[in-house]
Amino acid sequence: MKVMVCLKQVPHQDARLDVNADGTWIQDGNIKFEINSYDTYALEEALKIKDAGEADVVVVSIGPDRVTQALRTALGMGADRAIHVKDDDADLSDTLGCAKILAAIAKEENPDIVFTGFMSDDGNFSAVAPMLAELLDLPSATGVLSVEVGDSLKCERELEGGALEVVELPKPCLAAIQTGANQVRYASLKGIMQAKKKPVDVKTMADLGVSDAGAGAVKAKIEKVYVPPKGDSAEILSGSTDEIVGQLVTKIKELGVL
Amino acid sequence: MASVLVVTEVNNGAIRESSLELVSFARKVAESSGREVKSLVIGSGVDGIAGEFAGKGGGETLVVDSADAANYNVDVYKKAILAGVEAAGADLVLISNTPQGWDVAPRIAAALDCAFVSDCTNVEASGSSTTFTRRVFNGKLDAQLSVEGTAVASVQPGATEPFAGSADGSTTALDADVSGARAKFVEIKQSESTGIDLTKADVVVSGGRGVGDPDKFAEVIQPLADALGGAMGASRPVVDAGWLPHAHQVGSSGQVVTPKLYVAAGISGAIQHLVGMKGSNFIVAINKDADAPIFEIADVGVVADLFEIVPALTEAANAAKG
Ligand SMILES: Cc1cc2nc3c(=O)[nH]c(=O)nc-3n(C[C@H](O)[C@H](O)[C@H](O)COP(=O)(O)OP(=O)(O)OC[C@H]3O[C@@H](n4cnc5c(N)ncnc54)[C@H](O)[C@@H]3O)c2cc1C
Ligand SMILES: Cc1cc2nc3c(=O)[nH]c(=O)nc-3n(C[C@H](O)[C@H](O)[C@H](O)COP(=O)(O)OP(=O)(O)OC[C@H]3O[C@@H](n4cnc5c(N)ncnc54)[C@H](O)[C@@H]3O)c2cc1C
Repeated sequence: MKVMVCLKQVPHQDARLDVNADGTWIQDGNIKFEINSYDTYALEEALKIKDAGEADVVVVSIGPDRVTQALRTALGMGADRAIHVKDDDADLSDTLGCAKILAAIAKEENPDIVFTGFMSDDGNFSAVAPMLAELLDLPSATGVLSVEVGDSLKCERELEGGALEVVELPKPCLAAIQTGANQVRYASLKGIMQAKKKPVDVKTMADLGVSDAGAGAVKAKIEKVYVPPKGDSAEILSGSTDEIVGQLVTKIKELGVL
Repeated sequence: MASVLVVTEVNNGAIRESSLELVSFARKVAESSGREVKSLVIGSGVDGIAGEFAGKGGGETLVVDSADAANYNVDVYKKAILAGVEAAGADLVLISNTPQGWDVAPRIAAALDCAFVSDCTNVEASGSSTTFTRRVFNGKLDAQLSVEGTAVASVQPGATEPFAGSADGSTTALDADVSGARAKFVEIKQSESTGIDLTKADVVVSGGRGVGDPDKFAEVIQPLADALGGAMGASRPVVDAGWLPHAHQVGSSGQVVTPKLYVAAGISGAIQHLVGMKGSNFIVAINKDADAPIFEIADVGVVADLFEIVPALTEAANAAKG
C-alpha cells in the first residue's frame, strides 16, 4: 500500500508576523518555519499505517529551499521518500494551483490513500484537500479525527460541539486530518541519521507538466493583508503587577463572584 | 441576468440560521452588482422548508429532493450543487463555512475551475468584481481578496445578521442525478458525556498554548479557578497535545460557555475559540502580545506575562475572600 502525505511548511506559531512592504503577505525573510500543525497529525496517521503493516509513505511539499528541512524531519519521523516541488512560481499558487500541482504528483505516484492537513496555519483556506480529491476524482472526507484502514477507509469527521460523523470511503481516497487525531511522534536520533540516506526528488512545475498554477493562475487575488482594525477593544490595564491585580480584584468583586 | 446562489444547509429537518445570513450577503451583493438572488435546498422531504425559505428572502429556490440526500454526503451534495449552479446561471455561490460547507465547497470551485475564498467575514460586489474579507494566520491578520468572474465563497457563521424580512419567492424542483455516491454515510455519534460541565460554572479560567507546559495548568491556572470558585477551561491545542482532557475545551468543537466571568490566559483568540466564550458576561484577557485578537472581544485586558499576573491574582483573590 502507498500513502501520500501533503506537507506544508508554515511560519512558526510563535514567529513575529509583520506585513511586508507591499502589504500583500508577511515578511518571511527572518522568521522560523515549521511543519503545519495539522500536517504533523496527517503524517502520524500515515506512519501508524506503516507501523501496522506494509506501507510506503511518500511526503510531498511545494515550497522554497527551506522546505528541505521539513521534508528531512518527516523522513526522520519514518516517511520513506520525499518529493519537493521547488519552483519560485509554484510558491505563489492559490489553493487550486496547489491542488493541481499535487494532483500531477498523485497521478505519477498512484497512492491508495492521500492524507493532508485539514487547514494550513498561514493561509487558513481549508481548501487544497477537497480540490485535490475533485481533480483526482477520489472520494474524500475533511476534519478527520480517526481512520480505520481496511478495503475502505472508515473516517470519523469532526462536527460541531464534539459530535462525529462516520463515513466510509472506498480506496483510493483522500482524508484531511484534524489536529488531535493522534499523538505525533518525534524524529529519533536514529531516524534522523537514516533520513540522510532517504531520497528527496526535486521537481518543477514544468517537470510535472503543470502550466495552470503559479502566480499567473491566481483567481482570487490577495489585495492586502493587514492587522485587523481595532474596534471596541478591551480596556487595557496598566501599572505595576500589584496595581493591575488590584484593579482586577475590584472589577471581579463588582461582578459578585468574590 | 446572472445570479448569486445561496446554498442552504438542512440540519434535523430545519434550515440552519446561517443560511439566512447568506441571504443577507446575497441580497447586498445582488443589489450592488445587478444579480438576482436564488437559493438551493438539498435534502429528503424538504419541499415545505424550501417554500418557507423562498419567502424569507431566498428568492427562486431550487429544490433537490432525494432519498440519497437524507444525510449529508459529499458526492451527492457536490452533484446537487453543480446542478443548482447550472440551473440558476450563478456566477457567485455562497455556502456557510460549517462541517458540510468546508467538505464540499472547495470541490465545487475545483469542478468549475473558478476562484475559491473560504471563511469570509464580508462580501462586497460591484459589476463583475467581488471583494472578500477573511482572516489569515489563525486570526492574527486580515486579508482582502478580489475576484473577477466566477467565485465560490464559504462564509463564516455569525459574520452578519440573518435576513429577517420577507420577499417574493418560489420553489422549483430540480431533477438532478445525484446517484453513484462513493462515500457512504454510516452514522452520527453524539459526544459522550464529558465529566466536567463548564457550561454551569459562574467562572471559567482558561489557559491556552501560551501556558506552554502541562504541569503549569495544575500549578498556575487551576489555583486561580479555585480561588474564584470556578472551573478550568482550555483552548484546543492544549487538549490536542494531551495536556488536558477534551472536557476542558472551550470553542466550536468543545463547550460553549456563558459564565459571569471568563479569564483567558495565553489564548490568542482564534474565531473557533471565540465562538465558545464570546457570550460570557465579563471577559478578562491576559496575553503578552498587545495585538492578540482576544483583546478585541475582552472587556479588560492585561498585556503581560501570564506567569506574573495569574499567580499574583490568585493570591489577591484568596486574600480578598479572607
Ligand atoms: C507571497 C505570496 C502571495 C500569495 N498570493 C496569493 C493570492 O493572491 N491569492 C491566493 O489565493 N493565494 C495566494 N498565496 C497562497 C496562499 O497564501 C496559500 O498558501 C495557498 O492558497 C494555499 O492555501 P492554504 O495554505 O491556506 O491551504 P489549505 O487548503 O488550508 O491547506 C490544506 C492542506 O493542503 C496541503 N497543502 C497546502 N499547501 C501545500 C503545499 N505548499 N505543499 C504541500 N501541501 C500543501 C497541506 O496538507 C495542508 O494542510 C500567496 C502566497 C504567497 C507566499
Ligand atoms: C474546525 C476547527 C475547530 C476548532 N475548534 C476549536 C475549539 O473548540 N477551541 C479552540 O480553542 N480552538 C479551536 N480550533 C483551533 C483554533 O483555530 C486555534 O488554533 C486555537 O484556538 C489556538 O489556541 P491558543 O490561542 O491557545 O494558541 P495560539 O494561537 O498559539 O496562542 C497562544 C497565545 O499565547 C500567548 N502567550 C504565549 N506565552 C505567553 C505568556 N507567557 N504570557 C501571556 N501570553 C502568552 C501568545 O502571545 C499567543 O497569543 C479549531 C480549529 C478548527 C479549524
